[in-house]
Amino acid sequence: MNVELIEVTRRFGRTRAVAGVTMEAGPGVLGLLGPNGAGKTSLLRMMATVIPPSSGRIRLLGRDPGGYGQRRQIRRGLGYVPQNLGYYPRFTVVEFVEYFALLKEMPPARVHHAVAAAVERVGLGDKARAKLATLSGGMLRRVGIAQAIVNEPELLLLDEPTAGLDPEQRVAFRALLRDLGQAATVVVSTHLVEDVGAACARVALMDRGRIVFRGTPDELAGRAEGTSAAGDAPLERGYSAVLAEVRS
Amino acid sequence: MTAAPVVPAPARPVRALRVPLTAAGRMLRLELRRNVMPWLLPLTAGLFWFITYRPSMAYPPMWNLRAMTMQGTSLAVLVPTVVGAAAWLGSREGRHGMAELVSGTARPRWFRQLAAWAATTCWAVVAYLGCVGVLYGVTARQAAWGGPLWWPVVVGVASLPAFSALGFVAGALRPSRFTPPLVAVAAFLAFEISAQFIHGDHSYWQVSPLVAGPWEIGPDEGVATFYPYLPDLPIAQVMFLAGLTAALLGALGVPAGAGGRWLRGSAAATAVVGLVVAATAVGLAGTGRLDVHGMIAIPALHDAADDDPIRYSPVCSRTAVPVCLHPAYAGYLPVVVDALEPVLREVAGLPGAPARISQVAATYRQDPGNGVRIGRAGPPVSGTPPVFHLVLPSHLARRTATGDFAAEVRATVGRDLVDAVVGGGRGATPAQQAVADGMLRTSTLPPGSPAAAAARRFAALPAAARHAWLVDHLAALRTGDVTLGQLP
Amino acid sequence: MSRGGARTLPSGSPPGGAARVGLRLAHLHLASRRVPAALAAVAACAVGLRIALLHGHWTAYGARQLPLIFETGCAVVIAATTASPFGEPERATGRWLPFLRLGTALVLTAAAAGALAAAGTGAHLAGGTLDVLRDTAGLTGLGLLCAAALGGPLAWAGPAGYLMVALYALYTQWHGPALTTPWIWPARPPHDVGAAICAGLVFAGGVLLIAVRGARDTVAGS
Repeated sequence: MNVELIEVTRRFGRTRAVAGVTMEAGPGVLGLLGPNGAGKTSLLRMMATVIPPSSGRIRLLGRDPGGYGQRRQIRRGLGYVPQNLGYYPRFTVVEFVEYFALLKEMPPARVHHAVAAAVERVGLGDKARAKLATLSGGMLRRVGIAQAIVNEPELLLLDEPTAGLDPEQRVAFRALLRDLGQAATVVVSTHLVEDVGAACARVALMDRGRIVFRGTPDELAGRAEGTSAAGDAPLERGYSAVLAEVRS
Repeated sequence: MTAAPVVPAPARPVRALRVPLTAAGRMLRLELRRNVMPWLLPLTAGLFWFITYRPSMAYPPMWNLRAMTMQGTSLAVLVPTVVGAAAWLGSREGRHGMAELVSGTARPRWFRQLAAWAATTCWAVVAYLGCVGVLYGVTARQAAWGGPLWWPVVVGVASLPAFSALGFVAGALRPSRFTPPLVAVAAFLAFEISAQFIHGDHSYWQVSPLVAGPWEIGPDEGVATFYPYLPDLPIAQVMFLAGLTAALLGALGVPAGAGGRWLRGSAAATAVVGLVVAATAVGLAGTGRLDVHGMIAIPALHDAADDDPIRYSPVCSRTAVPVCLHPAYAGYLPVVVDALEPVLREVAGLPGAPARISQVAATYRQDPGNGVRIGRAGPPVSGTPPVFHLVLPSHLARRTATGDFAAEVRATVGRDLVDAVVGGGRGATPAQQAVADGMLRTSTLPPGSPAAAAARRFAALPAAARHAWLVDHLAALRTGDVTLGQLP
Repeated sequence: MSRGGARTLPSGSPPGGAARVGLRLAHLHLASRRVPAALAAVAACAVGLRIALLHGHWTAYGARQLPLIFETGCAVVIAATTASPFGEPERATGRWLPFLRLGTALVLTAAAAGALAAAGTGAHLAGGTLDVLRDTAGLTGLGLLCAAALGGPLAWAGPAGYLMVALYALYTQWHGPALTTPWIWPARPPHDVGAAICAGLVFAGGVLLIAVRGARDTVAGS
C-alpha cells in the first residue's frame, strides 16, 4: 500500500480538521469528495508531508514521514498540487517545472527530458518559453500539474486540480489521471463529482473530518436509491444521500 | 493534455543544455536568470558613476588614492541595493504563496535559500567588479607609476556575500512589504554610522569594510606609496565579513524545516564558527596600531616583509638644484619646481645649501586625541653633498582641487628649506626669522615688530646684494650670532 | 449563501449614515495597505533619530546626513504602502479609490514629518523642522513616483538611490567642489526657495500620480 493512515487527526487550535481517519490506498485513482471544510485539504497536506498529524500514524510509500531521512525519500516519489498554487511570475513554464524537478532531487541528467515530457503532457509545449505572468488561470493550473508529475511520482496528490480548466482540458486531464493511476497512487480532492465518476476507481467521502463513505463511484451512486436526495446526476444524488444520512 | 506515456516532439523544442551541470549548478542558473538584481544594476551603475567614479577621477591618477576612495564609496553604493534586493528575494516564497508547494519537495529549504542567495551575490559581485574594472582600467591608463591595489577590491568582494546574507535572512525571517526597504536603509545607516565610532588606531570599529586605512587620514598620497599597502586590516575585515556571512547563512539553516538533523547541526556549527571568526576579527582590529608609514598594522597578522620600502627611480627636474620626486608624484613635479624655484634661486651657491631636493616618505604618528601627526623622520638636510629631504604636504589632491597647492608647497617646503639653510625652526633668533621671511617674501612676523621691519628691509635688497651678504654672514647667522641691527 | 435560521448580514445603510460609511471605508483601505504597520515603522524611525541625536556627537555634514537617513526610512515605508493586495478588482471599483490613495499618502507624509520633527525637539537637529519637512516630502514624492513606475514593492530603490546622491552632495559642501543644484534639495539650506520648490514639485507629482493611477501592479522580479 502506498498510503496507510491509521486514526489520523489534525487540529488547528480548537478546530479539529481531521478526526481519526483510517485509510489505505494502493495504485489507482482515489477521489476524495466532501463539502467545504470537510477536512480534505488538511488530509491531503498531511499526505504531502507538508504538515504532521496531531495524532495517529501515517505511512507513505512504505515509509514513516515522521523522520527526516524517510520523509525525504517519500518526497522524491511525491507529486503535489495544492489548492492555491503559488508561482514565480517571471519564471517561464520550463523554468518553473525544472525548478521543481531539481527540488525533487531528480538526477540532473534526467531533468531536461523529464521537464520537456511533463510540459508536453499537460499540453503546454507551445507555451514552454512563456513567462508564468502571461498565462491564463487554466494554463497555470496545468503548469502546477506539470511540476507535480515531472518526477513520475509514485504518489500524486491533487487538490482541486481541475478548477479553472475548460471542458476540453478537463477531459484530457481525466485521461491523464487514468493513465497515471495505472502505476501510481493518485489522490484527487475535488468538488466536481463528474471528475470522480470519469477518472476514479475508488472514492472516499469526507464530512466534518471523518471519512463517511468509501467504495466505488457506482456504489456511491447506488446510495441514492430509495431516497429523495438532490442532484442532477447519480453521483451527485449519492453524495447528497450519504451526507444527509450522516447528518441526520 | 495527453495521457500518452511517450512524449511527442515539442512544438517548440526545449533547448538542450550545452554544458552538463550539477543540480546545484542548474538551480543557480535558474536563480541567476530570474534574479531581481539585474533590475537594479542601472541604478547601481549610475550611483557608482556619480559617487565613486566622478570624485575618483577628480583625484590625481594615483592607485592608492583611487583604490582607497573606491573601497568606501562603492560599498556605500552597493549596501542598500544588495541588501534590499536580497531581502526582496528572501521573502519571495512567502510573497508568492509558494511555501506550501516547495515545502513538500525533497531538497532541504536551506538548499533553495542558498541558491537564491548565491545568485543575488553573484550579480552583486559582477556589478561590483564591472564598476571597479572600469575605474581601475581608466586609472591604469593614467597612472604614472605603480599598479592596482587589490586588497580594497578583495574587501569589497567579501562584503557583498555578507550584505546579501543580511538582507536575505531578514527577508526570509520576516516576509513583509516593509522588510526590503527598511532593512536596506537600516543596513546603510549601520554601515555609515560604524565609522563614527572610530577613535584612534586601536578602534574595534575599524573592522568595518568602509575603512580603507587610518580613518582620520582618509585617502592620502603618502600612504602605500613608498611602502607596500599593508594587508593587516583588510585581512581582519575579510575574516569579519566571512564570519558574518557564515553566521547569517548558518542561522538560516537552523530553524525546524530547514532540513534534517545533520544539516541543521551543520548549519548551527557554521553559524557558531562564523560568529567566532567574526568576533576574532573584531578583536584583531582592536589591536591595530598606526604604523610609521601611515597604515594600520595588526601585530598578529603583520608580516615584517611588508615593512620593506618599494624600490623606485625618482623623477627629477632639470634645474640647477634638481628636485626629485617619487614617480607616483610625477604629475606634481612641475608645480613643485615652480613653487620652489624662487627659494632655490635664493639659496643656490650658499655654503651648506642643498645640492639636491629629494622627496622622502612622510612619517605618521597617532596623537593621544583622535588626530594623526604627519612629519619627517630625521634631519631635513643630510649627506655630502647635502640633500634636502622633502616631505610634500598631505592630501595634495584636495589642495590641487582648490588651486592653492603651489602656495602650500612654498609656505611649508620652502620655509623648511630656508630654515635648513639659515638655521631657523622652532628656536630661531629674530634675525634668522627676519632673513627667512625676507627670502621667502612672506610676513609671518608680528606686524610693526623690529623683526618684521628687518625682514621687509632684507626683502627689498637686490637679489645679488642679498646673496652676497648671505655668503659673507651665513655661518654667523646659523650660529645665532647676527642681530637684527646687523641685517642690511 | 445562508441556511434558514442562520444569522444574515444587516442590509441598508448603517446607523450614522454616509460619514460613518466613509470612515469605515477609509479604515478598511488603510488596513489593506498595512498603514498601522507603516505608522509603527515611522515611529521607530523617529525613535531611532531621537536616540542618535541624543547619544551621538554629530558635526559638519554628518549632522545633516543623519536625519536624512531616517527621513528616507519613512519615505520608503510610505512608498511600500502603495502596493494594493487586491489588484484589478479594486481598480474596477467606484470613484473613491483615488481619494483614498491621496489621503493615505498625505496622512502618512504628515505623520512622518511630524514624528521626525518631534524627535528633534530639544536636540540639535541640523537644518531644523523646515529641513525635515522639505526632505521628507521630497523623498516621499520620489518614492511614490517610483511606486507608480516600478510597483510598490520595488519603490524603495528610488529614495534609497537618491539618499546616496544627497549624502554625497552634503559631503561636497565641506569638501568641494560643492554640488548646488536645487534638485538635490537636502544639500541646500532650509530656507532655499529653489530647493523647496523642487522638493514640492516632486512630492506633488508623486502624490497626484499615485492618487490617479495607483502603484504599478506588475511584479518586477520574482
